[in-house]
Amino acid sequence: MPNFETSTEWYEQSSLLLKARPTTARITSKYSVLKPSASKVQKRQKYLDKRKDAPKPPSTSAEASTSLTNPEELVATFTLKTYDPVSGTCLQYETNKAAEVGRLIGSLGRLSKHMAALPEVAEDLSAPAEGAGISTPKLEVDGDVRMSSPAPGAEQKAGGGKKKKKGKK
Amino acid sequence: MADNHLSNDEFFSRLTDLFEHSRKKGHGSVYLTQKRLSFDTTSAPPSPTKILDDPLWDTHPENPLPVLIRASNNSSSKRKGTDREDIDKIKLSTVVQPEQLDAFYARYAEVGKAGMSGLKKRDKKKKKKDKKKKKAGE
Repeated sequence: MPNFETSTEWYEQSSLLLKARPTTARITSKYSVLKPSASKVQKRQKYLDKRKDAPKPPSTSAEASTSLTNPEELVATFTLKTYDPVSGTCLQYETNKAAEVGRLIGSLGRLSKHMAALPEVAEDLSAPAEGAGISTPKLEVDGDVRMSSPAPGAEQKAGGGKKKKKGKK
Repeated sequence: MADNHLSNDEFFSRLTDLFEHSRKKGHGSVYLTQKRLSFDTTSAPPSPTKILDDPLWDTHPENPLPVLIRASNNSSSKRKGTDREDIDKIKLSTVVQPEQLDAFYARYAEVGKAGMSGLKKRDKKKKKKDKKKKKAGE
């Protein structure tokens, strides 16, 4: 159950999984707000105390102290999980940044096109997505999808002649 | 729950309520799921021979298929010694037709961004100041 470091990687692998198993794979996203556990509160308290006691470096103290003030602060996370019950594949990505939500839901939208069996390339290109041998890098993406290199393991899973779309520069 | 798919509009208003509900509660989870809607009463299921002939039949269906979207919260039961209350499970679902996907996801993103208010906001100020300091220091 890989937990990806970047949403880009998660998106790439998920889209491969959806290409291979469009009917059975599903994407679950969870927004969860939790109260921190007792040990977490303790840890934070300890950290704060340490901060207080330590001699403050002159300039940074004012800003640094704003980052965490309340040890009981809630823990909010947004987790994306692509799961295919047939092969048992499960791909995860987790974030706690509000700034990412819009982009992540955007990639959910793009992945839903695999589910709907629509061509993934934007409609206005009017080119058939499949069989267009030289697939142009026109995935309507924020430009970050092609940054990381494709992982060979998942490529094999995708099977079929659909690998062309990946691995271009 | 299978038969009670909401219309997309109603789904969004209920989803907003669901997020609001969890925000008021202060903690808890909201689950969002999406999958291909492969169950269709109007057409016959693919025959076994068809599957045998073409094991990857589902990777290239003749027509675009709708997508099923589900949303739910966590139910919980009252428990002594904690502040847990009895909370019923709320389940929502809707079917998005392929041609409406773009519009749906645009709204979905809006609702999601508004609803997930607990996540960390971007801290622009701090970063900028840090950068300036670094430059000045060098």
